[in-house]
Amino acid sequence: MKKKTVGKTRHVVAWMNKAEYEHVLEYLFSKEPALQKHALHRISAWKGRFGQSTPVAVDSTADLVRCQVLDSKGQLESNDLVLLYGMALVRFVNLITERQQKRVARPLRRLAGNINIPEWVVNLRHDLTHRRLPSLKWCRKGCGFVLDWLHQEYWSRQMGSQLTEDWNTSSEEEDEEEFVKKQEEDLLRRQKEIEAHKKVRELLISYEREQFQTYEELAKQGGQRGVWPDASADLSWILTQIKHFATEARDILVDVLIQDGFLIPTAEQLESLDIDPSEDSVDMFAPCLPRVFLHFWLPCLKVLNSSIFINLILDKLFAELSNEPSSHRTYYIASWISEILLCNSKSELKAHKRLKISKERIFMNRLQFPWQNLISACVNAPCPATPFLLRQILSDMDQPLPHDAQQNLLQLCSIYTQGYHGNSSPGPSDPAQPVYTLQNLQERLKSNAAQNRDTSSNHTPRSVQAPPTEELQEKLSAETVQERNFALRGSAWSVCTDKVPWKQYPLGKVPGQPEDPSCLMVECYSTFTVFDQQVELDQLPRHHGNRSVPLQSRASGSDGPLWTHSDLSKLKAGLKLF
Amino acid sequence: MTMKVHKVSPQSQNSTKRHGKNKWRKRIHRRDTSLLNTSRGTAKLAQQITKREKPALKQLKKLYTKPIPEDSCPEERREKATSVTFAHVHTNGGTELDDSSSSVDSQEWSEYANSVLKNGMESSTSPKTDQMEEDGLQFHAHFDHTHNRAVLVMKQGQVLCFRGKCLLTCLYGHVEVLGFTIEEGQQPYPLFSPPSHCPLTITALGNNPPSGKNKKEGLLEAKAIVRKYFSSEPSKKLMSEVDSDSCVVLLEPLDTPLTRFLTSFSELSEIFGLNSKELKSQAAVYSPVLSAVGVTALRGPCAQGLVLSRSYREAISSLLSAWAGEFVRCPIILACGGKSSGKSTFNRHLINSLLNHTASVEYLECDLGQTEFTPPGCLSLNTVTEPLLGPPFTHLRDPEHMVYYGQADCQADIDRYLESLKSLWRHVSGESPVIINTMGWIRGHGFQILVDLIRLFSVTHVVQLSFGNAPQCQLLTPDFFRTAHGWQTHPPTPPTLTEEPASHPSIRSHVFLSVQSEFEGAGTSGEMQHQRSNELRDLALLSYFSKLQSPEPGPIRPLHCFIPYQVPHSAVAIGLTHCEVAPNNILYAANASIVGLCCLSEKVMGRGGPVVLSQTPICQCVGLGVLRGVDMARGLYFLVTPVSPSVLRHVNCLLLGEITLPKILLTKQHGVEGDLPYVTTDYSFEVQGAGKLHIYKGLARPGFIKSNN
Repeated sequence: MKKKTVGKTRHVVAWMNKAEYEHVLEYLFSKEPALQKHALHRISAWKGRFGQSTPVAVDSTADLVRCQVLDSKGQLESNDLVLLYGMALVRFVNLITERQQKRVARPLRRLAGNINIPEWVVNLRHDLTHRRLPSLKWCRKGCGFVLDWLHQEYWSRQMGSQLTEDWNTSSEEEDEEEFVKKQEEDLLRRQKEIEAHKKVRELLISYEREQFQTYEELAKQGGQRGVWPDASADLSWILTQIKHFATEARDILVDVLIQDGFLIPTAEQLESLDIDPSEDSVDMFAPCLPRVFLHFWLPCLKVLNSSIFINLILDKLFAELSNEPSSHRTYYIASWISEILLCNSKSELKAHKRLKISKERIFMNRLQFPWQNLISACVNAPCPATPFLLRQILSDMDQPLPHDAQQNLLQLCSIYTQGYHGNSSPGPSDPAQPVYTLQNLQERLKSNAAQNRDTSSNHTPRSVQAPPTEELQEKLSAETVQERNFALRGSAWSVCTDKVPWKQYPLGKVPGQPEDPSCLMVECYSTFTVFDQQVELDQLPRHHGNRSVPLQSRASGSDGPLWTHSDLSKLKAGLKLF
Repeated sequence: MTMKVHKVSPQSQNSTKRHGKNKWRKRIHRRDTSLLNTSRGTAKLAQQITKREKPALKQLKKLYTKPIPEDSCPEERREKATSVTFAHVHTNGGTELDDSSSSVDSQEWSEYANSVLKNGMESSTSPKTDQMEEDGLQFHAHFDHTHNRAVLVMKQGQVLCFRGKCLLTCLYGHVEVLGFTIEEGQQPYPLFSPPSHCPLTITALGNNPPSGKNKKEGLLEAKAIVRKYFSSEPSKKLMSEVDSDSCVVLLEPLDTPLTRFLTSFSELSEIFGLNSKELKSQAAVYSPVLSAVGVTALRGPCAQGLVLSRSYREAISSLLSAWAGEFVRCPIILACGGKSSGKSTFNRHLINSLLNHTASVEYLECDLGQTEFTPPGCLSLNTVTEPLLGPPFTHLRDPEHMVYYGQADCQADIDRYLESLKSLWRHVSGESPVIINTMGWIRGHGFQILVDLIRLFSVTHVVQLSFGNAPQCQLLTPDFFRTAHGWQTHPPTPPTLTEEPASHPSIRSHVFLSVQSEFEGAGTSGEMQHQRSNELRDLALLSYFSKLQSPEPGPIRPLHCFIPYQVPHSAVAIGLTHCEVAPNNILYAANASIVGLCCLSEKVMGRGGPVVLSQTPICQCVGLGVLRGVDMARGLYFLVTPVSPSVLRHVNCLLLGEITLPKILLTKQHGVEGDLPYVTTDYSFEVQGAGKLHIYKGLARPGFIKSNN
């Protein structure tokens, strides 16, 4: 059900919730007499609730479905059925057009036409009331049509179901065609993606090849510390290609970039760049890219430099990090994140501008990051380096969090990630287990974020909106309860002493009540007849002299809303129709 | 119990003797004897109810009444009054009752009745003079800040017509409100004048100077009283207004659980304000003193108050003299008339007038839609001891006996309606006047029912209210009853030639009083806010459930916040009064609905699961409750009700009716998170067939229109 808004009027209806409405709707039009009867019984309860304000459509539908149910039983002769159908049809046509009547009576035919009821249905009514009774065939046909009409005009449109447009226009064949078309499109798109992936990989590999050559030449010339030369003609061409591709399919490019063998170097690649690939040589808690490796990729990244690209790659890196990759991958992903954050850092930026050492930077101008998202992305992807990255983010925000919030966040973060500190602490070492802590962390983060929004930017104050604090829940002293129960002694009544916060339970709801629309169905009941009714005295001597109170217990052993055939026959035998 | 039955039966035996073929008399007789067996349980219950009620009443009296002067001591009076028990509590007009012989006594009564007649004439004519217009609107009032109350000095004959609510105590002299006279020394009375009804008027009747006191003494006394009620010296202007024949009343703000509960809903925040017509015509008189106690005085055409036509005043006065005079049977008064003809206002006026002379009036409620003392859908017999100074929803009371019919009109089951009323009639004591309030349904079967009621209850006075030029239905004169057929009763067989024709009318001939209603809008139902009948029904229900609120000021609790009572499904029978529901779906109808709490004489014992009634019983109902939830796992009903636990213990039957919870109680449930059951914002009335059955009355046929032209 839609969220209630203040502006909308609240209507009181007979169904507890939308589920109950849909349950009845489904059963009414199921074409299965047992289910239809189930729905009719529920509608009888609805009519009890609605009283005189039962919607005309609900009333008419119930009457017509009742005819169908009785018809399907095959116990009534066709003359009986014509009378039943006839009454239901006459009532439908009269009641549904009644609303449109103004001061002067207007012909039913026109009124019915306004609401898409064809003339033959109106004529059927006319025959039923003024002429020879129509045949059962016509009655059935009329009933079928009118039920379809009600389904379409009332039941499907009511309660916020907006599926009517499709329901009306598109036939099944069209649907099927569309489905096939869609499938084909999907296939085509996937094909294109695969192609694009291939192309990017090729491009990047040729880039890498080019850069290796440059590196090797550089190493020959005199150590790796030398300055990388400007791009060669070949490299420039590759870079333009990459740039061009990036505008077309940035997503794919980034995806490929963070695969192993590109931004995440393989051990082989590292060795060829003279970098020790072993994990002992690096600090997992403060990842930092090897300078050579950074230089290796700089030309490419510089070409791609744009705020959209940087944001995208940050997103993807964090997303990748949250998949709990191998420690090698983790280290390099974290390193890249750190590197990007560093490039954007306020202090760093200034320093570098002054020193004009812009060569090592991926980008020059400070970018606007979605800080809140970054923080959540960061804590969503816990790794040994999380506190390190988080500190970077926190220190760099445009509107920094309050100091204590920062401290709390960092502390929680390090508590969570301390499992990575070898095995010295008995803390949660299994990264899969302590999800609980992560949730806490997120909650913390959310509240911090909210706090941040409240304090830093001058949004409307929200703390006032808190629900009224005065205690609405009635509290009875022990003496009062005792007093009341004493007054009730000897009877079946008592004061409910369950510890229930009743104010949380609206009228019609009790603790532990399921949402299931069948939750109030009675499986077993007894009938009680009061015999000494004064009413009966001067009427038919039906219950003469019998003053005993017979209790007929009827238990049907069903446990669900659906009745078995035996249940149904039991009920059929035991219940009078109404 | 036996006493009462004996009282009835000789009469019915008589009549059966005289008219052997008269079926309905016989029927009564048979029923009465059969009831002897069944009524014991309910009678016991009734005793308990009265036991519970009475002390509170007395206590109230003690709190407020100052010692009554000896000459009007109730005991003494009872000895003196020989014909009837002129019981006690209200001492209005008591000072005049010095003579000991009953004949003089009755003479005094008729004199008083005449004075009422005269009085009414005066008050309806005199305000029209210019002097009253200018002078009458200047209310000499003073506000006492320390006690938060106001003292109002009124000249003799001055009228205050107002909207709002307050607690009125008469300090000096006596005033009249809706037929009831309030004297100095009487308890404070709550006055309610909401925009739903005709505004109340306080009329200063002045002071009957008691013998032995001259004017000067009276003046000094009055001034002393005024001074007593101020912590500081009141203004000289106010004191100068005090006269020996002026009236001094104390007005205090009125804050009850009812007013707090009603005004807690934003829709009803102006329920004690002005109505739109009064606002438009700027009828409010600015008076900071009066508004401080919750009263807004009216002026101009809106300040007419109750318009009493001549026939109206004559009817009241002849009914008063009927009670005062000698009679074989206590007067049984039935008021009838079409919708909005002023029946219930007439009844209130009559009750108040009678309460000036008697301690209690019995009131049989036959109007299901606009009940006086109970929530709608209930038929009841009430003993009225307190005046009715406001519309029905401001004075809901627990009746002596009640039957839950479950619908706002009786068309669906006229037999059950009549049988229910008959079962209530058994409890009429016959010691005080009885007033029977009827429905506004006076056509077709409705008229037949009226005929039945008059016959069944041997009504002595029929007051028929009508408006406009032509009466709304056949006049219910004694002559008409020779041939009138009711729903259950029929006229006596035409006298054969051998019988004396004169013997018939003497058996049950009634006095017929025709009243012409002359107030503005007579016969048209109110269209303004809070005047529509369904709104008034909702107000009555809200008023009923406001009894759950704690008497001390505090937060207003929504219904769902109360700790409910619980009872096993198998211990109480449950049934619907107005339609058939599949028994296995009965809880869908019952959940979060209003139930009548009834007492069956048989013990209810189910074998697990709910006990479903196969037909609607006619049984004592002790009140209403809200079935706030059903615990399916443990098989419990949870019920919230203002009915006290000592009465609730007798309840073994829950009747569901067409009387539904006011929507406001379902749609506004503070403190609940998530969706409210049975409440949706998604229901669209734009969709075909989404509305309820719509009945056009007087749909003109095109041909008919043409012929008119």
